[in-house]
Amino acid sequence: MDARRKYNISFDVLDLKSFKRSAPNHGWAYIIFILKDGTTYPALHFHNGGSKALLKELENFIHIRRSPNDPRLFLVKDHDPEQLSQSINELSLFTDSSGAYVQKFIKSPYTTTLGGFSKVTNFLRDVLMTPEDHHNLVRPQAEVAEILQDDIPGMEISQLDEPGFEMITKTKLPPRPTVKREDPLSSQQWNSFFDNEGHINRVEELKDIIFRGGVDPSIRSEVWKFLLGFYDWDSCSRKRQEQRKRKVDEYFRMKLQWKTISAEQERRFTLLKERRGLIDKDVMRTDRTHKFFAGDKNPNLQVLYDILMTYCMYNFDLGYVQGMSDILSPILVVMENEVDAFWCFAGAMERVCHNFEMDQNGMKVQLSQIHKLMQVQDPELCAYLEAHDSGNFYFCFRWILIVFKREFHFHEIQRLWEVIWTDRPCTNFHLIISLAILESEKSTLLENRFGFTEILKHINDISLSIPLEETLRKAEGIFLQLRDFKKLPNSIKEILGLLPSSDLPASQSMENSMFMGSSLTSSSSSSHQEAGSKVDTPTLMAGGGASASRGLSHSGSGGDLTKAGGAACSTNVARSVGVSARYGGGARQANGSGGGNGGAAGGMDDTHKVFT
Amino acid sequence: MSGRSKLLKVVLLGDGGVGKSSLMNRFVSNKFDAQSYHTIGVEFLNKEVTVNGENFTMQIWDTAGQERFKSLRTPFYRGADICMLTFAVNDRKSFENLPMWKREFLYYADIQEGAPFPFIIVGNKCDVPNREIGEEVAQSWCSRNGSAPYFETSAKDATNVELAFISAVSRMREMEDQLDLKPVQTNSVDLSKKQKPLNSGCCS
Repeated sequence: MDARRKYNISFDVLDLKSFKRSAPNHGWAYIIFILKDGTTYPALHFHNGGSKALLKELENFIHIRRSPNDPRLFLVKDHDPEQLSQSINELSLFTDSSGAYVQKFIKSPYTTTLGGFSKVTNFLRDVLMTPEDHHNLVRPQAEVAEILQDDIPGMEISQLDEPGFEMITKTKLPPRPTVKREDPLSSQQWNSFFDNEGHINRVEELKDIIFRGGVDPSIRSEVWKFLLGFYDWDSCSRKRQEQRKRKVDEYFRMKLQWKTISAEQERRFTLLKERRGLIDKDVMRTDRTHKFFAGDKNPNLQVLYDILMTYCMYNFDLGYVQGMSDILSPILVVMENEVDAFWCFAGAMERVCHNFEMDQNGMKVQLSQIHKLMQVQDPELCAYLEAHDSGNFYFCFRWILIVFKREFHFHEIQRLWEVIWTDRPCTNFHLIISLAILESEKSTLLENRFGFTEILKHINDISLSIPLEETLRKAEGIFLQLRDFKKLPNSIKEILGLLPSSDLPASQSMENSMFMGSSLTSSSSSSHQEAGSKVDTPTLMAGGGASASRGLSHSGSGGDLTKAGGAACSTNVARSVGVSARYGGGARQANGSGGGNGGAAGGMDDTHKVFT
Repeated sequence: MSGRSKLLKVVLLGDGGVGKSSLMNRFVSNKFDAQSYHTIGVEFLNKEVTVNGENFTMQIWDTAGQERFKSLRTPFYRGADICMLTFAVNDRKSFENLPMWKREFLYYADIQEGAPFPFIIVGNKCDVPNREIGEEVAQSWCSRNGSAPYFETSAKDATNVELAFISAVSRMREMEDQLDLKPVQTNSVDLSKKQKPLNSGCCS
């Protein structure tokens, strides 16, 4: 976020809790330092080598061991100040050449980090001379150790669903299939889907491609118009022209509505005035480092502002809520056109408007759904989070509210969103993505014994360092595991839209049938019998609100979807129902082989002598 | 430095856009970025300070200011040691909302009504020319609200930011000391003291 912070890494070496090294197959080495309070620094890159030397030297001051569960993760054993000062004396480090000593092993990483490192040098000196006790900031180890022993192996879940109906003991998911991601939809491919009149043939196949690889940036603005409901998937060119014309008129009609309110009038229209004030402030601090919005008096800021104000007129009940500018910004950058951006934004908002409702129920429901999913998918991590006051998953709040907008780089968020907008492979895939990210952080959270505040801080800090494609592969793998899990509780199926149509209200089954005739493309038929029988598995609901009626385990407020989602979300239902139904047909490249965490094998072979 | 440092939880509250995150970042990293994002959810930063020879780790919590996110913000008030109520001197509304923020904090931090609590009032953006709230107006509100210390700050040019945070710690210690000086409430009755008439329902 703050560019300067990124390149200025300085910390007290006694605060170091652990660090993560780059995967051995990564082009160059990097190290991510994690402190006791959960602070996680951006990766420190070593383009010209030197990382091993640095760590080897660090090993003289701190005791490091490799995590048994994550070969990239290294844990710092708690310091013994006595021992430390002794080892320093032995080293007689602080002679007049001490600065050079530390500099020596840095060699030449990014030149920008050098400044930062000289501070580390200072810290090393200051701190090592006066060892300090920081233990009071960390949870008592005994407490955590107890929890770890108690809850982990084959834990029991009993309150997952309606008590008494589904008792699960020892959840064991099927092995995780390997999932392949493909190239983005190319301009050539895209054109080949249109017939002479501009109808799109084989819509489902098209969405499969988008799900599997995203969209080439050159055709993004066109494809997104379909994904976000600006154009209907079954429209022809002529109809689209008409649609567009209507939308242009309608946009300017709504824009005029607020534009023509005089200052005099606004004085008696507090609500509008307040919203204007909020939008004003937030426009000035949305993606200002992106070149599209950079610089004072950038005209695109005015467009951002106008669209948000017009949206207040389009959906006055919802109004403007912080976070909306984050949703709009990437869309405007792609569309480069006020009207198109507005309608695509309105389409994107339809999917997430329940996040912004006054009672925040949509958010609470989704956070509790992550909890429910994790109870099945990773009971160990789930138990750990619960035992550390994090079972409410508040630390995922930003992820969910703005669909990971602040967690990924700009080009990545465009890719992620277009994948999510295909509504594949299931309803609420974004929740599974959350599970995938948390799984990648599991060793860091558990082995550092992070408590509530450290978890929150760490999750905030990994923003912009989450590998997108790897996360998507992992998330799809998790979905396939859940889908093929024979004892998957109905409450989970409901969240993922995997309940058979007989369990759905009649009206929704009707909608599903519209999509069922669509052709199946994949022949890589899976070994899972169940998968085949799920060809016409429809989803229950759209837009993340599914299964809300079950209520929340933590907030205590009853989760009522109709209230949370609101009428504005209703069109979503048809859209997402069809698509995920199709996915069940087995359009995936899964090959059923287990594992799935490739690349984990170490580049360092000796666990005892870590840096050799 | 000597001895272990005590962890102090500081909660920053105030309307959206008054500069809560900027104050925190100025204090902790001595940086200012006019174009930084508005906060979504909660964030916090730690800062080691020494006040009157005592070491503290200030854990500063920064939350999203919009009313809408109240239910996801308030759980973080519990256990707070200090509350900084923030407004922008060029934003009348943000000043008028101070009582609301104070109420919200007291309620969710579970602090007894009327119990002394170290509030600090911060009028940020004192560098901007078009003020809507004068210093005297703000001061008078503070004196009517438990004589909370008032600071006019600018996260942008670093005016008084450190002073405000450090004074918050002193304020907290002062209030603690005052509590310690007060006789510990026990079951014994001080006969030398004039007993205040008790308003008990049955014998008045």
